[in-house]
Amino acid sequence: MPDRTRRTVAGVTTALRQPGGRAAFLLALVGYPPLYLASVGHLAVGARGYSIRVVADPVTRAMRSTRPFSFEPVARVAVDPLAVLISPLDIGVALTLAALVGCNLALAVAAWRSPATCGVEGSVGSLAGLPALLTGATCCGPAVLVALGAGAAGSLTAVLWYATPLAGALLVASLVFVAGRGGH
Amino acid sequence: MALAVGTTGALAGCLDGVANTAGGASDGGPDRGPPAADRPRHVAYDPDHLHGAVVSGGPDKDGIPAVDDPSFVDASAASVPGDDDVVVGVVRGGTATAYPRSILVHHEIVNDRLDGVPVSVTYCPLTGTVMGFERRDTTFGVSGNLINNNLVMYDRATDSRWPQMLATAISGPLVGRTLREFDLVWTTWGRWRRRHPETRVLSTDTGYLRNYGVDPYGSYTPKRGYYAQEYTIFSSLADDDRLGAKDIVVGVRTTRGAAAVEHSRLRRRGLADLSIGGRRIAIVHDPGLDAAYGYALPATTTVTAASTGVVVDGVRRPPAALPFDRVPAIEAMWFAWAGFYPDTDLHA
Repeated sequence: MPDRTRRTVAGVTTALRQPGGRAAFLLALVGYPPLYLASVGHLAVGARGYSIRVVADPVTRAMRSTRPFSFEPVARVAVDPLAVLISPLDIGVALTLAALVGCNLALAVAAWRSPATCGVEGSVGSLAGLPALLTGATCCGPAVLVALGAGAAGSLTAVLWYATPLAGALLVASLVFVAGRGGH
Repeated sequence: MALAVGTTGALAGCLDGVANTAGGASDGGPDRGPPAADRPRHVAYDPDHLHGAVVSGGPDKDGIPAVDDPSFVDASAASVPGDDDVVVGVVRGGTATAYPRSILVHHEIVNDRLDGVPVSVTYCPLTGTVMGFERRDTTFGVSGNLINNNLVMYDRATDSRWPQMLATAISGPLVGRTLREFDLVWTTWGRWRRRHPETRVLSTDTGYLRNYGVDPYGSYTPKRGYYAQEYTIFSSLADDDRLGAKDIVVGVRTTRGAAAVEHSRLRRRGLADLSIGGRRIAIVHDPGLDAAYGYALPATTTVTAASTGVVVDGVRRPPAALPFDRVPAIEAMWFAWAGFYPDTDLHA
């Protein structure tokens, strides 16, 4: 395993062993997926009553792509007033991003509270929190444009449609950049 | 902007009043794909220019899934829209049908049958346009591409590409063919139900699962988000500041050109008497539905708007039933209309 990768894993592991880092990780793991699902329209308020609906062929449907890194829902669960669309692969994407966000936050918290233990400077460690915050708003291209109330050139819009993998790459890069510096 | 009138536009200019033969494209064949209109529609750009202006909208082909097996409920069902919610209405064969915009925004195309005729009811959220097309034995799907922010459909028989507002194929085996259109009415559920108490309404049981109360672009009740603001998500084919980008116009096009009137102006005046290439077209307002219809008028006919209808040569008639040939009247956001038809007249 290359040194940088080993240092990254070690830094994250150390951060997760600390109570503060672990709490930040769990907070992201629980809090991020609902934000992500709401941003892609899979979690909404306004449902009436209680119901569960499942499509006829859920396995095939689950694999059907709707846009880059997003897939068809196979079930809808309504619990007044919440309605959740269950798309297994989208939930997997949300959990993956949540874990990466959690690792970044854990690293930032651990570095802030005890930089010496973590091997990361406090000021550098706080950088890990930035992509975690940014990715919260990059899940759905048009939704971002609508929220900003601004138009965009086609190229920028295309980039926004690929915001999910970009967010993942940014989060991994941030981990490697921050945690991988440990020991220098 | 240099206006290019290429093969399709030039053909359109030559064929006024003549059956459309452009639909029999070489390998498409007249019997393949959706049926051709009797006459082509005016297209202001050549197909190559239009094809080059197509952009990816983000979703994959069929990533926005058309409803291919629609089901309906009656007006008394619990899941019908609210009175102020927008619906798209049509009456064919004595049956009134409403398609809630809240469903259409998630599917954009409903492949349906009306009075036994296979049709597609289509909606583009980014241009605010609803249009109905005959489809014969094929179906339309959402290509995932846009032009001038407008939905580009494809037919599943030939994979030709059809910008919704142009109703004309810009690429594929059927390039140049113009679709047969029929009028759809953009109104509210309350207005539609008062006019047609026995109406049926498209069910949320579409075969797909969506949160139909969620509109990714904004809201019409009240109007906000993308629908209310000046920006567009993608670039337009042309810019025209005679009106605000999202102002709603009612437009008509013939083989020879296009003309439009601002919807709020039409609402105030009740009638717009237009001329396109010497052909007289009237757009009349239906106050009960707050909708508009287009008619081809004889040159000598006298038409005036009255509080309870339209007076044609001294006889009062309901706006939806004037004794003239209908011309599809399209409600659209101004930027979209002006982008596709930069040579459009704007009724003033």
